[in-house]
Amino acid sequence: MKFSVNWLREFVDLPKEPEEIADLLTRAGVETKGIETRGAKIDQVFVSQITTSSRHPNADRLTVCEVDDGSGTKRQIVCGATNYKVGDKVPLALPGAKLPNGTEIRKSKLRGVESEGMLCSAIELGLGQDAAGLLLLPPEAKIGAPIGDLFPADTILDVEITPNRGDLLSHFGLAREIAALSNQRIAEQALRLPFGKMAGGAPALRKKGVTISALRECPFFSARKIDNVKVGPTPQWLRAKIESVGIRSINNIVDISNFVMLELGQPTHAFDAGKLKGDIDVRLARDGEKFLALDGKTYSLKPDNLVVADQERAVGIAGVMGGEETGVTESTKNILLESAYFLPASVRRTARNLNLPSDASYRFERGVDPQIVLRASHRATELIREIASGTPTKEIGTAGKVPGNPADVSLSYEKCDRVVGIAIKPKTIDEILTRFGLRKMSATKTAKWKIPSYRRDLQRDVDLIEEVLRAYGVNKIQGNDRSRSTPSSGADRSHDLESALHERLSARGLWEVRTSKLISRSAIAFGDNAVNLRNPLTEDHVALRPSLLTGLITVLNRNVRASIERVAIFEVGRVFVPPEAREERHLGILLWGNAISAPHWRITDVHPFDFFDLKGAIESLAIAAISFRRGDHADLALPTEIYANERAIGFAGQLREGRVDAPGAVFVAEVDVDLALGGAELQKSFREIEKFPTVTRDIAMIVPEEISHATILSAIQEPKEPLLESVELFDLFTEQIGAARKSLAYRLTYRDRSRTLTSEEVSAVHAKIRERLQRDLGAELRE
Amino acid sequence: MHPLEQLRDDALREIESARDEQALETARVKYLGRSGSVSAWGEQMKTLASEEKPIVGKLLNEVRSSVTAAIDLRAQQFRSQKESDALTKIDISLPGTQHEIGALHPLTQMLERSIQIFRRMGFALADGPDVEDEWHCFDALNTPPEHPARNEQDTFYLPDGRLLRTHTSTVQIRAMQAGPPPIRVIAPGAAYRRDEVDATHSAQFHQIEGLYVDKNVSVADLKGTLEFFMRELFGADTAVQFRPHYFPFTEPSLEIYVKSKALKKGEEWVEVCGCGVVHPAVFEAVNKARGDKAYDPEKWSGYAFGLGMDRLAMILFDIPDIRLFAQNDLRFLKQFA
Repeated sequence: MKFSVNWLREFVDLPKEPEEIADLLTRAGVETKGIETRGAKIDQVFVSQITTSSRHPNADRLTVCEVDDGSGTKRQIVCGATNYKVGDKVPLALPGAKLPNGTEIRKSKLRGVESEGMLCSAIELGLGQDAAGLLLLPPEAKIGAPIGDLFPADTILDVEITPNRGDLLSHFGLAREIAALSNQRIAEQALRLPFGKMAGGAPALRKKGVTISALRECPFFSARKIDNVKVGPTPQWLRAKIESVGIRSINNIVDISNFVMLELGQPTHAFDAGKLKGDIDVRLARDGEKFLALDGKTYSLKPDNLVVADQERAVGIAGVMGGEETGVTESTKNILLESAYFLPASVRRTARNLNLPSDASYRFERGVDPQIVLRASHRATELIREIASGTPTKEIGTAGKVPGNPADVSLSYEKCDRVVGIAIKPKTIDEILTRFGLRKMSATKTAKWKIPSYRRDLQRDVDLIEEVLRAYGVNKIQGNDRSRSTPSSGADRSHDLESALHERLSARGLWEVRTSKLISRSAIAFGDNAVNLRNPLTEDHVALRPSLLTGLITVLNRNVRASIERVAIFEVGRVFVPPEAREERHLGILLWGNAISAPHWRITDVHPFDFFDLKGAIESLAIAAISFRRGDHADLALPTEIYANERAIGFAGQLREGRVDAPGAVFVAEVDVDLALGGAELQKSFREIEKFPTVTRDIAMIVPEEISHATILSAIQEPKEPLLESVELFDLFTEQIGAARKSLAYRLTYRDRSRTLTSEEVSAVHAKIRERLQRDLGAELRE
Repeated sequence: MHPLEQLRDDALREIESARDEQALETARVKYLGRSGSVSAWGEQMKTLASEEKPIVGKLLNEVRSSVTAAIDLRAQQFRSQKESDALTKIDISLPGTQHEIGALHPLTQMLERSIQIFRRMGFALADGPDVEDEWHCFDALNTPPEHPARNEQDTFYLPDGRLLRTHTSTVQIRAMQAGPPPIRVIAPGAAYRRDEVDATHSAQFHQIEGLYVDKNVSVADLKGTLEFFMRELFGADTAVQFRPHYFPFTEPSLEIYVKSKALKKGEEWVEVCGCGVVHPAVFEAVNKARGDKAYDPEKWSGYAFGLGMDRLAMILFDIPDIRLFAQNDLRFLKQFA
């Protein structure tokens, strides 16, 4: 909320510099987010009077005015506004003036007519929001007086009020807080509301003219009739005040209502009494009841919306917005002034359900001081009497009861010390709480405190401790080291597994990415039926990712557009498996482009990524008993299922053409990390290093194309030869050996762990294996 | 001088002056070859008188070994020279052999750094789901329906009524439901906000939640922990300021601001963390769900905090736009390798 420093000063002494005020508040948890200087002295702008006005000879929309600037000579000014008449007093910026928006005024010719300055609007002078026309000054303004005389400089603070502090949503409320924090008393006159004498003395409260059918939602309601008001423009002083904090001026009645809200925090509302049919009833809306609000829109109400109604229809959504039909207009003669206390939760629900937040609902839902309801009514009434020459009735119609004061709160000094962590003298605690308007009711170790009506947020001892801490100063408390050992958890182990994956893959030259778990409607869907959000905000985030591939492909496309030639990426993160959005932790890998990112003089083998780069990356994760099998996947050419211990853990393959923008083959894999590695034994153990040498023998063979490496391997390895330690494929080619054939070369390593092998022993075993290959696979062995 | 000594001196001189390996080989053959002059002396030995034999024999051995040593030395010199000659041709300004490397995303780096700091202070990890229910996200955290801080407008809902957690504070509740106090955990994870996306707001962001519940946990303990964290992260001379704030689930509530010369932001206070003393209503909600009084607010107290990882990474790495994190442009990622 925006606060005028001048306005605050009416209630409390403030530090000279706005920064000091901001600092005082911020340190106490009332964060000041902005400081803005307004209406500062603007040189060369004076009060002037328009003496003549005529059409511009060359432009329909411009007029040529003659103005009196008090110097004795008239000035000719070209002007675009239409809201004035001859005789009005307006601000005149003379050549040389520099306006707050940066405009520098110079003598100039506009469409051929000389203009010796500029007539200004409120917004041009930084004095309000109104940009529609010239700022009309009061008739009593002295011609030739600097504009600064009429608009003293002010500073506007933009203060963030936390939702628990509804009592700070007014100048009086914030001033009261500043007084408490700076240990001073709020100005006496501010406490004697309404400020000034009530004409004819205090009005009588009468249970008439108003009923409440929904007492839970509206504990108290007051209505005062004020007759013969003159609706019209608002005097400059009041208008300047509300405009300085961002409220637009409408007419004097509405402006007064807003003024009282900004001053005291109590929203009030004025009805055109002539348009009300009979007495007021505060009731719940009928289902589907239509209501035309002041914003010009029709709302369809529900039975949990509270309305202010006359005998025929709803005339206001309680605490939110008044009705268009009963609003105050130029022709209004008599008004009915509402000031009430509404249940915060009810107002909040209604404002939210109707998507109709207002300045009033903002305050009601954060809690308005019940004790200020009638004072605000008096204050508004006095202003309407003075400004709009209304005649208030001697009585206020009321219904319900003003809610009682909040319950007392007990606070033990010992607990305060315990929560804060240092010892604070009971005397200091008492002093602080007293400053905040609390009253000590008992003098024991656990003192009972009476809470002021405007601090409904103070409900338990910790709330009082926070007040003590705020005023005492958090920064005076010395930090303390409370480190202690904690056994590691399942989440620790899970995290460490993920870190190990990160390290493995990044060491292999893959880049970790983190993509959004919310995916767009246009994203390539992997796994249909992604769980949709019920209330997406943008097309970019409409569903929960069922797979990591959507994100990885988005990253690929972005990088391809940026002319990156090697995209090797991976992500470890949660996916949401339809239909119930079950959360699983997956690893996704995507490879595209050159396996080597930049040409290099040492590297001659520059190949594009292929399936085996992908497979190698997955194999590097040391998944137990991993196998790859041909599978079935709509989005993949070369669909491959990955198994660990005979359980499917994921898939790998090449994306079908046309699925992405990138030219060339894109290889992707996705694995359920916890299925693949969840039970993995992290414990490693030593095995004796082999003492005896190995003997290696190679076998080169030509076999029909359809015989797989796996088939050859099992022909070599089964039945098991105890001396055969390992088998490596080290060559594979298909060129120059005839169609549908391939040549492979394997290195077989033999060893006995307990002795040195003889050449004869190895030859015997090796011959058996060679024979098996020839017999079982029809392999053509090469010498 | 014995003729053998003369022979040795000649041989050594010749070896010394050999210009190349071929000249050296010629010298070797000349002196040590089968018909070389040193070998010839071996033959001559047979003709010597028996009393002369041991003296000349000893001398002959000495001569042979010193000539052999000289030849070996000279040969070694030639080999070294050859090696050096070959290597001096190598252009050591050529670029070194590259090996493709990858790296972790800056947010992951930020998370890891933070987790390491908290682990040093004895925090274990905890975890909870991204898809939550309203009770864990709001009610249990002292934010009942119609509470002004319960921002359903800013919350993503699933069709079944569940929601995407708006903060990782849900894990506080899950951790306390799972076991009795004392509890000392951090929970890194994603949170979501239904908010306009711009340079500082994204629909999904990352937090580290912290919770410590024990006997007599105070604001001073909270300060000690987070001051330590901030100084570890931003440098020892980091200024840390705690300002009162409001969160429904902590009381007192605080916000942390830091100022550090190490940061590009310079001498400006930047907000980095929300924290506070766990509100007794949170303990009461947990007790109700547990069906016991394990978290009796009169016996136990605790502090909780939430650190915005995206924000911290932006501050620490001077990253101007939060959207860069989710874009994963490799030119961006490579800056943090």
